[in-house]
Amino acid sequence: MKKADLITGIVLLALSGFVLFKSWLMPESLTFGPGPAFLPGWLGVILAVLATILIVAAWRRDPDALDKNPFPGGRELLAVGKILGGLAAFALLMETLGFIVNTFLFVLYLMRASQRETWPKAALIAVLTTTGLYLVFQVLLSITLPKNMFGF
Amino acid sequence: MEILNQLMMGFQVASTWENLLFCFMGTLFGTLIGVLPGIGPTTGVAILIPITFGLNPTTAIITMAGVYYGAMFGGATTSILLNVPGESASVMTCMDGHPLAKQGRPGPALGMAAMSSFIGGTFAIVLLTLLAPTLAGYAVSFGPPEYFALTLMGLTLVSSLGGDSPLKGLISGVLGLLVACIGIDAISGVSRFTFGSMYMLDGVDFIGVAVGLFALSEILENIEGPMEQLVSKTKLRIRTLFPNLQDWKDSYKTIIRGSFIGFFIGVLPGAGATIASFMSYATAKKLSKHPEKFGKGAIEGVAAPESANNAAAGGAMVSLLTLGIPGSGTTAVLLGALIIHGMRPGPMLFTSNPDFVWGLIASMYIGNVMLIIQNMPMIGMWVRLLKIPYKVLLPVIITISAVGVYVTDNNITDVWVMFAFGVIGYVMRKMKYPAAPLVLALVLGPMVERSLRQSLTISHGDIGIFFSRPISATLMTIALLSLFAPLFRTMWIRYKRGKAAEV
Repeated sequence: MKKADLITGIVLLALSGFVLFKSWLMPESLTFGPGPAFLPGWLGVILAVLATILIVAAWRRDPDALDKNPFPGGRELLAVGKILGGLAAFALLMETLGFIVNTFLFVLYLMRASQRETWPKAALIAVLTTTGLYLVFQVLLSITLPKNMFGF
Repeated sequence: MEILNQLMMGFQVASTWENLLFCFMGTLFGTLIGVLPGIGPTTGVAILIPITFGLNPTTAIITMAGVYYGAMFGGATTSILLNVPGESASVMTCMDGHPLAKQGRPGPALGMAAMSSFIGGTFAIVLLTLLAPTLAGYAVSFGPPEYFALTLMGLTLVSSLGGDSPLKGLISGVLGLLVACIGIDAISGVSRFTFGSMYMLDGVDFIGVAVGLFALSEILENIEGPMEQLVSKTKLRIRTLFPNLQDWKDSYKTIIRGSFIGFFIGVLPGAGATIASFMSYATAKKLSKHPEKFGKGAIEGVAAPESANNAAAGGAMVSLLTLGIPGSGTTAVLLGALIIHGMRPGPMLFTSNPDFVWGLIASMYIGNVMLIIQNMPMIGMWVRLLKIPYKVLLPVIITISAVGVYVTDNNITDVWVMFAFGVIGYVMRKMKYPAAPLVLALVLGPMVERSLRQSLTISHGDIGIFFSRPISATLMTIALLSLFAPLFRTMWIRYKRGKAAEV
């Protein structure tokens, strides 16, 4: 945790610097009273103070035996990465593949990649999820869902 | 009398077939969320915002509130049967609930959990009915300084009480306020932190942030581990669910106390159902004639946290509806939903939308009755449900969330916001940063900024305005005290240690 806190502290300090710089560039208030830069400016200052406390506290803490890396190892990160990769593909392909194909493939992928279900079971859950969502959004709430170039 | 008339009107609103149906579905979904370990009420409410988007505001909020207090009911089931808390407010229920189940009394434990939940929940709604209009009437006179002090107090309390480390809570809150600054400044029209993007002009999509920060990151955290199956061999019959007379004799005082503690802790911003259940359990143990029985299967040990966490859910609605200040992560998401539906939360809500407020309150009475039916005669269904390897549901929930976030605006960028905040939320969970302050700050951000700038404009830049008016001075003092409380504590410990070293 010590190393992790030091790194986040530095990232937050950099972020506060960026916020302060951006607030500096904002125009001054045209009327009397505080302008648009007022709150973000002060937030930048507060964040810088908090980040400094975080860094100093982490620096002074003794790294003892209990000090574990809070992040999981390779296998867990792979499991998380698979989901996020699938979700990114889902977002990228939505307007090309259309709602029905895209959602079906996404659920099928998640069931196979992260849950290791058998093909028939994965396909069944994918069909059920897609149908259910289609019924709720397109039929019940009459929201137009994206279609692909073949019209579905 | 006035209140009674209003409440009757509320029941008229709440008992249309549509509202009854959605109240039932909300409480049912809430119980499900409560029963399933790993998925909490905040996630449940966040997922429902897009799905209920097309409904009228009253029906939508009735459904989402049902999820919130429904989860408080459902959380006890797995705590008692499997020693796995269904959500954080049921952690204390494990302490005595599971020993009771092992001693062959799972029925009375579950029955007591459901009944004390019902009593605590209903008690809180009665107090909500009686106190909320008065409090709202009082709060109408609040000006910008009072509002700034109030929101600041809410933020500092949530930040410093909510997590393990007050510092990390505060950082989370400041980040939330910064995210709230993104977009066009409502007062001057200047665009801030938009990086020239058209999308960002409107600010960051709240639904995307809430779903990412709670639902997606919660699921990511659950999915990284190996799949475990929860099996309970308990067979339950409805007859065995009723606690006997001795159980009631042991517990009735605890239930009354738990309801009071839960309600008042729920009203306070910052401390939600989880803290209420801990406090109630501790009080019950301290005041008990036989504290040694606690942890080994005392029925009061089930009644105390369950009455308190349900009462806290009702109490949290008081500050949400009268002041527009949520007390916890779940109510913060609920407040975001209110704003999305075009409501202006705050003391005026009782005068501007009485049918909404009273309809919601009346629906909570009805919902509690529905919940006791779902959790007593139908308990067997939930126990059987646990036999399904529930992690199969996680990908389905991700899909529902992603599609829901997309369809509210038909904008794929919202899904990327959910993606980004899912990753941020996951990292925050791992590093022990609480997410509730961030989402609370995001919802309250515009109000904090408007009231702060208006106050300083009125006073020509003098911050004395926050301390010269009695209400805002009191609230500011509480805010500052809670901010520096951790510092005082460290200093006190050092001082004592220094003294010990001298001697």
